[in-house]
Amino acid sequence: MLRYVARRLALAVPTLFGVLVVAFLLLNVAPGDPVTAMVGERADPATVARLRAELHLDDPLPLRFVRYVDQVAHGQLGRSFVTDRPITADIAERFPKTLELALAAMLLATVCGISLGVLSARHPGGWMDRLALGVAYLGISFPVYWVGLLLILVFAVGLRWLPPSGYGGLEYLILPALALGMRSIAFQARVTRSSMLDALGADFTRTARAKGAREWVVVLRHALRNALIPVITVVGLDFGSYLTGSILTETVFSWPGLGRYVVNAIARRDLPAIQGSVLFLSAVFVLVNLVTDLAYAKADPRIAY
Amino acid sequence: MPSQIARLLRLSLLVVLPLPLACRGGEPGTPSRRTLIDSRDTYDPRSLDPARSTDVPTGRAVSYVFEGLTRFTADARLEPALATRWDLAPDGLTYTFHLRAGVFFQDGTPLSARDVVHSFTRALDPATRGSGAVPLLPIRGAADFADGKAPSVSGLAAPDDSTVVITLAQPLATFPKLLAMPAASVLPASAPADVSDHPVGTGPWKLVTWKHDDYLLFARNEHYWGGAPEADSLRARIIAEPSTAVAEFESGNVDVVEIPPDETETWEHDPARKRLLTDVPALQLVYVAINTTRGPLRDPRVRQAINDAVDTRTIVQQLIHGRGRVAAGVIPPSLGGADTTRAPYAYDVARARQLLAAAGYPKGIDVELWTGTTPIMVRVAEALQGYLAAAGIRATIEQRDAATARAAARRGETDLFLKDWYADYPDAEDFLYPLLDSANMGPGGNVSFYHNPAFDRLLDQARREPDEAKRDLLYRQADSLAFADAPMLYLYFYTQLYAVQPWIEGFTPPVIFNGQRWTHARFRPPGR
Repeated sequence: MLRYVARRLALAVPTLFGVLVVAFLLLNVAPGDPVTAMVGERADPATVARLRAELHLDDPLPLRFVRYVDQVAHGQLGRSFVTDRPITADIAERFPKTLELALAAMLLATVCGISLGVLSARHPGGWMDRLALGVAYLGISFPVYWVGLLLILVFAVGLRWLPPSGYGGLEYLILPALALGMRSIAFQARVTRSSMLDALGADFTRTARAKGAREWVVVLRHALRNALIPVITVVGLDFGSYLTGSILTETVFSWPGLGRYVVNAIARRDLPAIQGSVLFLSAVFVLVNLVTDLAYAKADPRIAY
Repeated sequence: MPSQIARLLRLSLLVVLPLPLACRGGEPGTPSRRTLIDSRDTYDPRSLDPARSTDVPTGRAVSYVFEGLTRFTADARLEPALATRWDLAPDGLTYTFHLRAGVFFQDGTPLSARDVVHSFTRALDPATRGSGAVPLLPIRGAADFADGKAPSVSGLAAPDDSTVVITLAQPLATFPKLLAMPAASVLPASAPADVSDHPVGTGPWKLVTWKHDDYLLFARNEHYWGGAPEADSLRARIIAEPSTAVAEFESGNVDVVEIPPDETETWEHDPARKRLLTDVPALQLVYVAINTTRGPLRDPRVRQAINDAVDTRTIVQQLIHGRGRVAAGVIPPSLGGADTTRAPYAYDVARARQLLAAAGYPKGIDVELWTGTTPIMVRVAEALQGYLAAAGIRATIEQRDAATARAAARRGETDLFLKDWYADYPDAEDFLYPLLDSANMGPGGNVSFYHNPAFDRLLDQARREPDEAKRDLLYRQADSLAFADAPMLYLYFYTQLYAVQPWIEGFTPPVIFNGQRWTHARFRPPGR
C-alpha cells in the first residue's frame, strides 16, 4: 500500500503542474487590471505605470511563468499585490478555519445522513422513509445561502440561542456547519438508503439472519458495512468540495476562512493570492481523493492496493 | 457577489419571517460588554500601513491609529489635527504647518517635524511599494521621487522640530484637505518596517489584535492628546453579507449598521426601529459615464437626449425608496459650489427624440450599457434600458464584475458605464477634477473622456483660488458648463441610512468615511 501511496503522490505532481499552468494562463488572459485594485478609483497614470513595472506585469508571459514556477518550486507563493502579506501566511491563517467548518459539516452530515439512510431502508415506504425522503428533497433543493440566512433569523435573531455570525467557540460553529452540511445530509441519506436496500436484500444478509444474528448486528455489521463504498465516495467528494470552497456559507456567517479569501482575491485581481490559493486547494483536493481511495480498502477487504 | 439570486432569496425569506418573529425574545437590553462594536466593514482592510490606504475599510482603520496634519469631523468639516494652524505664502505654493505641542506617538516618542517629513517621504518612496500616495503628489518633487528620478522630495522641509514647510509644484487650494486623507498619516521616523503588523501612530486607538476577515480590536490610547476615548475598546468586525450585519444589530451584538438599500423601507415603517435611524447624505454620486469619444455619443445633443429620456425622479422613488436626491451636476448639495437651484434634466421623451433627429439619428441609436454586479446597480441599469428604448436609444446591458467593467471603461471601450463615485475628501474638486477634467481621462477617473478646454480652465483657476467663496463660484460655473454638455447621465446622490443602538451616545455616522473616530462614543449610563 505504501507503494501505492507513493505512486499516487508522484502522480499528483503533474496534476498540480497542470493546475498551475491553467490557473496562470486563465488569470493572465482574464480582463481586469490588478493595479486597478491597488491604486483605488483615483489614480494617476504614472503611479499605474510604476506599479505595473514593479510587479513585472509588463514582462512577457513566458518569462513571468518561468519565474512563478521557480518560486513555487522553492516553496514560495509570493506576496499579495494588494496587502503585501505572504500568501503562505494568509493561507495558514485561514485554512484551519475552513478545515474546522468542513469537518464539522461532514461529521454532522455523515452521522445524520447515514442514520437517516439506514432508518429509511429498514422499512421502505414507511413513515420514517417518507420523512427522510422529504428531508432529503428539502436539503437538496434549498440553496445554502437561503438556508444560512433562515438559520440566522430563527436561531440567532428569533430564539437567541446562538450567535448570528463570526468565529469563536462551538456555538459559532453550529449554524454554519448545519447550513453547509445540509446538502450532504440529503445526499448521504439517499445514497445510503439505496445501497442499504441492495445489501439488505442480498444473500449474505439472509444468511446472517438465518444463523440467528440479532437484527442490529445484521443491519449494522453485515449490511451497512457492505453498503458503505458508494457512501464513502459521496463523503469524499463532498468533503473535498467543502475544503475548497464553502464561499457562500463563509460569506453569510462571516466565517474567516479560505473561501472568502479567494473570492476577495478574485474581485481584486490579486494574481499571486489567487494562483497560490488555487494551487493549495488543488493539492488538498488531490490529497482528499487519495484518502478516500484508501478508505475503500479499509471498508472492503476485497480492495487492495 | 451573490447578486440577483441572493436578493430574491432574501425576499423569499419574508415568507418565513413570521416564524422567528413569533418566537422573538423581545428587544435586546443594554449589553454588558464594554467594547464598542462596528459592523460597517464588508471586507478585510488591505493593511494598516497608511501608504496602502486606498479603500474605505483600510482608511477607516488607519484613521483610528494614525493622524495627519489635518482631519475631518463627522459632518465633513476640515479641522486641525497634528498641526494647530498653517499659513499659505502669497505665492500660493508654500504652506507652513505649525505642529501641536505635547503630542506623543503610541510608543512614547514625541512627535517632531522630522517625523512628518519622514512619513510623507516614506509614503512616496518606491521602496515602500505603496500605492496610496496620490494626495502627496502635488508636493514639489514628489512625482520625480516616486518615479525614482530624485533622491529626495524637494518640496518637504523641517526647519525646526515644530514646523513643517511644504512647497507645492502648483497652487492647490484643497491641499490641506488632501492632508486629512489616510495616506498622509504621520508615523514615527523610528517605526519598524512592518508598519501594518505593528502600527504606531498618534491616534486615539491602539491596535490590539487583527484577526483577518474576522475583526480588528483596538484599545484606547490613554495618552491621546485630545483626551482618551470614552470607551475602553473598539472592535471593527468584518461582515461580508449586509443581511448578516443587520441580524447582528438586531441581536444587539453590534452598535451600528448600515441599512442595505433594499431594506430601508422596512426599517422606516417600523416605529420601534425608526427611532434608531440616522440619515447621512453620502458624498456619493450615481451616474452613467457617457464616453464622449464614441460614435453618436460625440454629439452633445445625443447625450442630452439620453438625459431627457430617463425619469430619474421615478428611479429614485421606486428603486431606492426616495433615498436620494436627483443630480443636476456632479457636486453633492452639501458641498460648497453646488447649485441647488439648477434644474435637473426634465423627463421629456418627445424632446429626446427631437434631439436625436436633429443630431441625424431619427431612427435612434444602439449603445452598450455597462454595469457591475451590485444588485441595486443592475436594477437601475434595467430601468435605464427601458426608458432609453422608449426614446429610440437601444441599449444592451453588459454586466461584468467590477474589475473588468472598470478596466474596460478606463481603456475607453464602453459607451455607457453605470457607476458611482465616492468622495475621498469633502470638496467639489474631488468630483469635478477626477470625473471631468481632461487631465484625468482614463485611469484618473474621467471615463467619459470629457475634454472641454473652457471647463479645464475654470477648474484650473478654481484649484489655484485660495478664497473659498470665489472658488465655489468657479466650481459652480464649471459644473454648469459640463452639465449643459452632458458628458454623463446624471442620476442621483445617495442618502445612506444607518441604525445606531439606543444604548450608544456620542456617535454620529460620518459623512466622509474617515470622519468618525469614536472618541466620544460610549455606553449610555442606565436610566438615561
